[in-house]
Amino acid sequence: MTRNWLIDNQGLFFMAPAMILFAVFVLYPIFYIFGASMYDWDGINEAIYIGLQNYIDMFTDDRVFSLAIRNSVYWTFLTIFPQMILGFILATILTSGIPLQNVFRIIFFMPAIISPVVLGIVWQRIYAPFGGLLADLGREIGAHFLIQPYIADPKIAIFSTIFVNVWQWTGFSMLMYVAGLQGLSQEVLSAAEVDGAGTRQRIQYIILPMLRHVHLTLILLGVIGTLQTFALVFMLTKGGPNHASEMLPTYIFQKAFTLQSMGYASAVAVVLLLIALSASIFQVRVLGSRFTIGN
Amino acid sequence: MNRRQTAKALAFVFVTVLALIWLVPIIMMLVVSFMPPDQRAPRFGGLLISGVSLQNYVTVFQDAEIVKHFINSAAVTIPSVVLVVIISSLAAFALARLRFFARDIWFYLLIMTLMLPIPTLVVPIFQINKALGMNDTYLGLILPYTALGVPFAIVILRSFFAGFPIEIEEAARLDGCTRFGIYWRIMMPVSWPAVAVVIIWQFMTSWNEFILALVTMNSVDVKPLTLVPLVYSGQFMMRPGPMFAILALITLPVIVVYYLMQRFMVSGLTAGAVRG
Repeated sequence: MTRNWLIDNQGLFFMAPAMILFAVFVLYPIFYIFGASMYDWDGINEAIYIGLQNYIDMFTDDRVFSLAIRNSVYWTFLTIFPQMILGFILATILTSGIPLQNVFRIIFFMPAIISPVVLGIVWQRIYAPFGGLLADLGREIGAHFLIQPYIADPKIAIFSTIFVNVWQWTGFSMLMYVAGLQGLSQEVLSAAEVDGAGTRQRIQYIILPMLRHVHLTLILLGVIGTLQTFALVFMLTKGGPNHASEMLPTYIFQKAFTLQSMGYASAVAVVLLLIALSASIFQVRVLGSRFTIGN
Repeated sequence: MNRRQTAKALAFVFVTVLALIWLVPIIMMLVVSFMPPDQRAPRFGGLLISGVSLQNYVTVFQDAEIVKHFINSAAVTIPSVVLVVIISSLAAFALARLRFFARDIWFYLLIMTLMLPIPTLVVPIFQINKALGMNDTYLGLILPYTALGVPFAIVILRSFFAGFPIEIEEAARLDGCTRFGIYWRIMMPVSWPAVAVVIIWQFMTSWNEFILALVTMNSVDVKPLTLVPLVYSGQFMMRPGPMFAILALITLPVIVVYYLMQRFMVSGLTAGAVRG
């Protein structure tokens, strides 16, 4: 390695801090969970090699794991699309020059910056059967359908949790669409208007296709967000009742740190990692990579 | 009123109603935190209280040592924001402007981190921290937060840097400016909108991060604010007032930072992540 090589590759010095952190806290942990997933290990005593047994148990004899997978599918579809649709509608209105449009943008975005820990506790009070906002409101105005065991009923707990997530992240979708709409070429839009395209036609044939990169970014972020959902579920339902609202991250946490099975938790983590990787490879393959890297 | 004005008026009514509904949980958090201690239970989840009192905040500062946890959060968040800005802007500059060995491979490796759900890393990071003696220390959170925040920051900054006119850079080179000089004296000072997005984003994620904090910080003395509701959930279980005062205090700093920085947010996002 000559001095010239180093001068030609100065960029490596600029990259070095990022690469070192990446190696220690991302690359090494990935190898680590693959290794640890082959062991029966409580994190303290000596680990016993058991090959693929953790995976076999997970896929053949683990009701909670299947519930977590089912809930992830619900979560993916029921958060991403409602957030995108509502976010787009809000962005369209809030770039049309109505009064107070910046105030509205701040209001809708606000939940996205608040900790899910805080929101989990607040929404417990909204959902509570006695003294909760929805139940009290239902009794007061006689709308009895509002009195539901929102987070106590295993059938609906996951949907109540998903609803909070949609409330929290719609403002983020809105902001991305606002940024996208402001970046649209005004000439194309005015040309369409001159040619007699109505509002609906302009949205359908020009605006929506031109915002393709925003849609794709939101889908990608939505999938990643789903796969790492933890704090909201942990605070609102603890994954319950009886695991009905369990997600893969809450399950990993419970296995590793409550039940002390670090090996099994690592195996679940490997599955989660593989799902995340295949989702992103699928998106890059099918939808193109431009949107993730922005060039 | 013509059709366009009618449509605008309807849209205004629609977003006003929706915005009021949207704010309910946040208003509730504030209202309950001002609930007088003699009120037994709030009605309507806390939207109706019998008076306004600051007693809950007094209780929280006396019983919960909230200042200590606040300092813990700041001691983790501020270094991670500073480190992310420095490390990611250096890397983004190199990726946008320099040629070097295996540049694209480095970039794709880093970007891979964006697709990585953080919960997959809790077990190994817990073990790494244990091996390095960093559990229950600020560093045990600062370093992973920085490592996990850098890739997103690189994406934002790299495309901002890439859009910067190359002629100015060439002129600076002719005048004898080094690569580092171009980065430090030319690129960074004009990149405020993108740096602001990185600061807001990293501040929010570090301040609100939960799962790594939960497994790393076991001693009450070092727990950041996000863990405080869990610490006091037993003590304040029957007293929503003090608990909600804690929630409001956790939320206040992110709202302030967001409010100060939000005007950069849309322009930064336009220039960065969502540029077509």
